[in-house]
Amino acid sequence: MADQKQLTEKESLDLITNMIQKAKGSYHETGIGSLLWGTVVTVASVVTYFQRTYDFSIGFDIWLIVLGAIIPQIIISVQEKKSNKVKKYEDDALNAVWLVFGITIFGLNIYQIIVPDITNEFIKQEGWQLTKHYLDSSKADEPISTFTPSIYSLFILIYALPTLVTGIVKKFKPMLYGALITYVLFIGSCFTISEYDFLLGGVAALICWFIPGVILRRKYLAQQKANV
Amino acid sequence: MFKELDPILHSQLRLAVVSLLIGVKEAEFTFIRDKTNATAGNLSVQVQKLKDAGYIEVTKQFKDNYPQTTCKITSKGIEAFEAYVQALQQYLQVGKE
Repeated sequence: MADQKQLTEKESLDLITNMIQKAKGSYHETGIGSLLWGTVVTVASVVTYFQRTYDFSIGFDIWLIVLGAIIPQIIISVQEKKSNKVKKYEDDALNAVWLVFGITIFGLNIYQIIVPDITNEFIKQEGWQLTKHYLDSSKADEPISTFTPSIYSLFILIYALPTLVTGIVKKFKPMLYGALITYVLFIGSCFTISEYDFLLGGVAALICWFIPGVILRRKYLAQQKANV
Repeated sequence: MFKELDPILHSQLRLAVVSLLIGVKEAEFTFIRDKTNATAGNLSVQVQKLKDAGYIEVTKQFKDNYPQTTCKITSKGIEAFEAYVQALQQYLQVGKE
């Protein structure tokens, strides 16, 4: 592009439109992060569903794979930051939303681990206990520990939040629809037993992250091919 | 009364640079060069003119042992761009009448 050319008003306006479009279409997510989280959360949720439904154990806590995914995510984030030649206004805001999402999920895990035990201690100090009582008296009453009923429904609800924000801000329909369907899954999970909540959570991870991740990856690879 | 078109912006390459930067927070020099198809030398000169006018900020740093130049539009640059577009619209409106 030469600098000396004298522009007409129409050419100026066309040039502005063209450059704004170029800037808009310049940034493509690699999709790897979405694929990673979509995969690990779907696998962990579905394995938990099968373990609980068919009463078996795979020998380790499957949710450790979600914890383990943080390391590759950090590497992916650093590499993407290095390769991005342009930074958009919404990037910082979206990064903040996903960071808050991560903290919230972590906090909910802490809640799930700590609250039942602490509650047990409190009610023991008060001198009473929770008991499972069979209405038809077919079995004797059994003392039970405090638990957080159907807590995975809350995880499903939280999965939708950053996904919806990203879908709206980036005008990325797969994430937008994925998040909206996840809200429906959340409502459904309120009416199902906890085993099915994990299955619904697996579906939520699939439609919120895995499928959008596949779409992003395809777009990214197509863009890379076009640039060669 | 027609507003005069800003001579700093009323040049093909400088207008292209500012139009690219208006929609992003910041962009690397190489990104701007690729999108405008300009030569590095020519682009450097025009970037310097925009910087001298206070329309853009230029940051030079090292990234992985390579020099990296990043450009960012300033609030003065945004105001100038908006005024330029308004003036253009005024001209085009008259052309239609």
